[in-house]
Amino acid sequence: MNTYYPHFRIVFLSLACCFPALQTTAQEPSATVIKLIDQHCAGCHNANTKEGNLDLQTLVKQPVSQNALEIWVKIHDRVQAGEMPPPEQPKIGDSESNSLLNAIGKAIIEAERQMLVDSGRAINRRLNRYEYENAIRDLLSLPYLEIRQSLPEDPISHGFNKSGEALDVSHVQLSRYLRTAENALREAIIRQTGLPKPIRQRFYSWDQLKFTRGNGPNIRKTYPVLGYEIQTALNVRPAEKSGSFIRPLPGRHSIPSRRDEEAVVMVSSTYEHVEIQYDQFRAPSSGRYRLKFAGYTVWMSADYTELTSGRRTEPITIYADSPPRKLRRLGHFDFHPKTSVQELEVWLKAGETIRPDASRLVRSRPPQFQNPLLEEDGMPGVAYQWLEVEGPIHEDWPPPGHQLLFGSLKTTESNSEEYQKFIAEDYPNYERGTSSTEPNPLDILDGIYNAHNRPPARGHVSVESTEPIVDAERLLRNFMTQAHRRPVSDNDLQRFLTLIHESLANGHSFTESMLAGYTAVLGSPEFLYHHARPGVLDAHALAERLSFFLWNSPPDETLRSLAVSGLLLNSDILSQQVDRMLDDPKSRRFVNAFLDYWLDLRNMTASDPDSELYPEYQLDDALVESMSEETQLYFQELIRGDLSIRHVVDSDFIIINERLATLYEIEDVLGAGFRPVELDDSSPRGGLMTQASVLKVTANGTTSSPVTRGAWVMERLLGIHVPPPPPSVQAIESDIRGASTIREQLALHRSHQSCNVCHSQIDPAGFALENFDVMGAWRDQYRTTSEGNGVLVSGIGHNGFINRYRLGPSVNASGTLPDGQGFKDILDLKQILLTKEHLLARNMVNQLMVFATGAPNRFSDREKLEAIIENSKPRHYGVRTLIREVVKSSLFLNK
Amino acid sequence: MKSPTRSSGPYTTNRKPLSRRSLLRGAGVALSLPLLNIMRAPFSSAAKAGMKPTRMLAICNNLGLLPEHFFPQDDGFDYQLSPYLELLSKHRNDFTVFSGVSHPDVDGGHPADNCFLTAAPHPASGRFKNTISLDQLMAEQIGHQTRFPSFTLGVNVQEGVRSLSWTESGVMIPCDQSAAELFTRMFIQGTAQETKQQVRKLELGQSILDTVAGQAKSLSQNLGKGDKQRLDQYFNSVRQLEKRIEASKAWESQPKPKVNLPVPLDPESPGDYMEKVRLMYEISRLAFQTDSTRVITLMLDSVNSPAIEVEGRAVSDGYHNLSHHGRSEDKLRQLEVIDKWHMKLLAELFGGLKAFNEDDDTLLDRTMVLYGSNLGNAHAHTCLNLPTIFAGGGFKHGQHLTFDTTRNYPLPNLFVSMLQQMNIATDKFASSTGTMRGLQTI
Repeated sequence: MNTYYPHFRIVFLSLACCFPALQTTAQEPSATVIKLIDQHCAGCHNANTKEGNLDLQTLVKQPVSQNALEIWVKIHDRVQAGEMPPPEQPKIGDSESNSLLNAIGKAIIEAERQMLVDSGRAINRRLNRYEYENAIRDLLSLPYLEIRQSLPEDPISHGFNKSGEALDVSHVQLSRYLRTAENALREAIIRQTGLPKPIRQRFYSWDQLKFTRGNGPNIRKTYPVLGYEIQTALNVRPAEKSGSFIRPLPGRHSIPSRRDEEAVVMVSSTYEHVEIQYDQFRAPSSGRYRLKFAGYTVWMSADYTELTSGRRTEPITIYADSPPRKLRRLGHFDFHPKTSVQELEVWLKAGETIRPDASRLVRSRPPQFQNPLLEEDGMPGVAYQWLEVEGPIHEDWPPPGHQLLFGSLKTTESNSEEYQKFIAEDYPNYERGTSSTEPNPLDILDGIYNAHNRPPARGHVSVESTEPIVDAERLLRNFMTQAHRRPVSDNDLQRFLTLIHESLANGHSFTESMLAGYTAVLGSPEFLYHHARPGVLDAHALAERLSFFLWNSPPDETLRSLAVSGLLLNSDILSQQVDRMLDDPKSRRFVNAFLDYWLDLRNMTASDPDSELYPEYQLDDALVESMSEETQLYFQELIRGDLSIRHVVDSDFIIINERLATLYEIEDVLGAGFRPVELDDSSPRGGLMTQASVLKVTANGTTSSPVTRGAWVMERLLGIHVPPPPPSVQAIESDIRGASTIREQLALHRSHQSCNVCHSQIDPAGFALENFDVMGAWRDQYRTTSEGNGVLVSGIGHNGFINRYRLGPSVNASGTLPDGQGFKDILDLKQILLTKEHLLARNMVNQLMVFATGAPNRFSDREKLEAIIENSKPRHYGVRTLIREVVKSSLFLNK
Repeated sequence: MKSPTRSSGPYTTNRKPLSRRSLLRGAGVALSLPLLNIMRAPFSSAAKAGMKPTRMLAICNNLGLLPEHFFPQDDGFDYQLSPYLELLSKHRNDFTVFSGVSHPDVDGGHPADNCFLTAAPHPASGRFKNTISLDQLMAEQIGHQTRFPSFTLGVNVQEGVRSLSWTESGVMIPCDQSAAELFTRMFIQGTAQETKQQVRKLELGQSILDTVAGQAKSLSQNLGKGDKQRLDQYFNSVRQLEKRIEASKAWESQPKPKVNLPVPLDPESPGDYMEKVRLMYEISRLAFQTDSTRVITLMLDSVNSPAIEVEGRAVSDGYHNLSHHGRSEDKLRQLEVIDKWHMKLLAELFGGLKAFNEDDDTLLDRTMVLYGSNLGNAHAHTCLNLPTIFAGGGFKHGQHLTFDTTRNYPLPNLFVSMLQQMNIATDKFASSTGTMRGLQTI
């Protein structure tokens, strides 16, 4: 007999009740159940012996209530799997077993039905912080807004941040919603009335303060050059003035005819305190900009006196930088030995400047540092020539976000006399300048947090209306239509309109009053919560659920109009929409959010590789950034190509850039860009398990444990529930001094039968992954601290630190799966797991369904989930097919 | 130039007794500054609820202290005071000194000062984003109980570059650096216009909440139990927030506490660093004494300080340059003089807080003072083994708590202990792994 949902043989621990209150709805276990349980089970599981902490004698007399549901499901599954009664006890006959299972199943299903009749399978929930960020970005057409971090972290239930039961609100949460909304609204308002005149300007590296400051040791210097000639004369610094040196003054040192040969060379990466920046450029206003970077790679002689052509390309990451050191990653490209111009089109916030970073080069940390890239005859470096800026590029003025809020009403700039008068009157004691480009985060709601009793420091315009009452209604109606995911009721419109009217009557300006109204809309339950009614979803609720599934965002114009017309309820149209949405770049939001929870990618930076054991990974931003991206691109590819679920386990290609290729020891992949690379059969890579991101999130930075990794593979990839370790047992920790391997310690642990029950199931997959270190590189031997007695290895970190570690015991990656199948390494294990297609598909469907509906998959959902898997079989459980089938399922179409 | 040895500052409360001065509020209770504890009670909702207020002052000196003179040699309650701590000997049982503590993964040298109270990892790295600071988390919960939810103070702070206080979205809260301005805000009644403006703003906030509460109410009709319960929770959150606004509004109609002191004079020169530090300590003590706020951070931006004056003479080199002493004996000697002044001023602060009683406790008993740095060793820019002193606040002190100096113990654990001491229910702050091991409350 097949186990439907595999469980481990575990003792029944006390089961926490996961529903708030015990309902009166209940189903008495039938006479059949009572009889069979009495006959076959109650011998051990009775009130006296309570084997496995389970007293069936008592349980069976009580209704199948919410409290006991989980236990009953477990009983059902253990009997179904043939695990109970245990082998040493008399076997239960097939027909008896079937009728027992039927009876229990019916009782559970009926109990669940009654439980869910009130609010449906999924309780209406608020948006989580990912969704809220997307919603605000879309509404205000400000794709660069960073909102997520302003909100408290969302609770997780059933693996995702999507569950109605878990997504609580508190006054802190609410106040942050309101502040965040207000900030975002102000960001959308223009700062000048006329279209900002686009600039087109070249910024030479020689002219930048931050390119020519704060030098010292050779590794950290910036070298002004003309072509390959180092301009040593410029680099002289007075001996008594340590820590500073002469900057080549523009015009004085530059030779006009050789202007284009000017460059600044660095052999190190950008980091405190050599933080190069094109500081003479600051984005004059928020908007889209075209950035062109000119530069080339060089080879610096070991004595830092001679420069020759570079020997390879260097990946360059570009960040936007605003004080005090707020960085946003904008993109990346490569510089080549020959000078080239690289282009990026990006969003910049007013006041941001540009920081390039040659990420492969050393980041030096005091007190002593060396260059890990140093060779006998020199080291690689990068020559930065100039940055050319074009922008802001506005297709419309005012931009769409501003127009949404204020249409084309007349505006007055904040540095105007009126504005100054407002400041002077309302804030008489305030004397500071209002030059800050940083929007003041606290205004309307300042009162709640009047720690920061400051006038609005932002410089957005104020909007004038000659007919405030008329304009307010017109603007508000339009805004609410866009913001809400259902038709706006007159009642609701009136509600917010009253707020605006009152505000106007109390002497607040038109701008501030409208902002108060908009802030309220964005903090209101209509905006923050899903609003489905029990039963089949109506078109609006369906559009909402679909959109927060495949885009992790609210519905767009198309979906909204299909909801209004009701056409979305047509299954063909629904299918078309699924394909349209998956093909839209916004589906990347789904991919990232889904993977952040399914595979824990959100924890990528939760730990850092130990600096002594893993010097090569220190301060390596490019590596960490690449890791998540690989997995996201890979999963995107599975959707795009409708590739079989087998690709979760293995594949004949991977999508990587140079940094990952180096980590994976794959040759001939150069540069920062990602591309598909074919794998040969002997490669341990391919599939999710052996991606660096997964290997990193399942390790702790210093060590990896087969228990953690094994449990993770079981649970996340195969969907097999792993019970948490019993609280009384101390965790097994790797010994980084090399005295014993984790495997030896585990063997001891597993010699206790009570431990082995679970560990024989959890650990095997983890053993196979022992060949991968904490960042996902292949290892044949463990590393130990210098206290060990293996071969001493000395390394220089990416941070310039000289480190010593030793090679420790060899890795043994072999194991035996619970069903007896042995494997000697990860390649073997993958072959075995590839045969478990159905299990892989079922897990994927379960994960997708929780993400899509926010509800846990219950016993009564099993049949429908199984139907999805069956329907996908002809397409080899293609990932896109699975998604399509999830949407078609009545589980998805009903609340 | 003024020397910090003489109490030339405007606050001389340790020496001159303050004259009594009546302070009217409500039904006309007349009180005086030394008896502010009596006055404070009706102002404070915590006092009404019969709870002892707990306060916090967190200070970061971003060049740290010379470790060889700071850390004691032995541990436990019987430890021998180090040369620096000798200057705090009068208060030996009022503070704990830690060694072997730091913020996990907070590296990068100088930029780490902005993470002193946030513990956000890798401040110099490309993926850095600051997170909410300890004080702002506290202010969110208890800020409404006082006129000012929190103060963010600084000495010689490079504007727009450094602060200890950060909002949840990683936005820096700029430092107030003028003692005069702070004094005015705390004790000088604002104009009617200002009060009106503030009240108007609060009322707007209230209207917003009323509006969304109204919608929640109408939406929750005819809902199933589970769905309704979600909206009820929203509704309750609105009410909670409204109460906080109400409290803020109440402050606007309360007259500010009066103190019989002149508005302090801010020293003009950044060289008067020590005097400025002393002033900020005094302002903080006054703020706590009058229960104007319970949460204060103070960034001592030594990095941005020039050659400063101590004992009436200027040291030879900029403070920052001195810190890169390269073991030069002359520089080390000068640093030692500066460090010792830090300790003396801290001793004065502790003394001031102990001299004032609130109910049966001293003000120090109810004030957690954290003094530390983002740098363990400024010369080497290392962010490990941070010199850390923790005083007052109802903890059992008088010991040297030692941890592994190669694999440091997470300092955020102390923050969790501090939050819990404020009755804020949490068991986590940034990279914490629990509460501070070995630190017990009284």
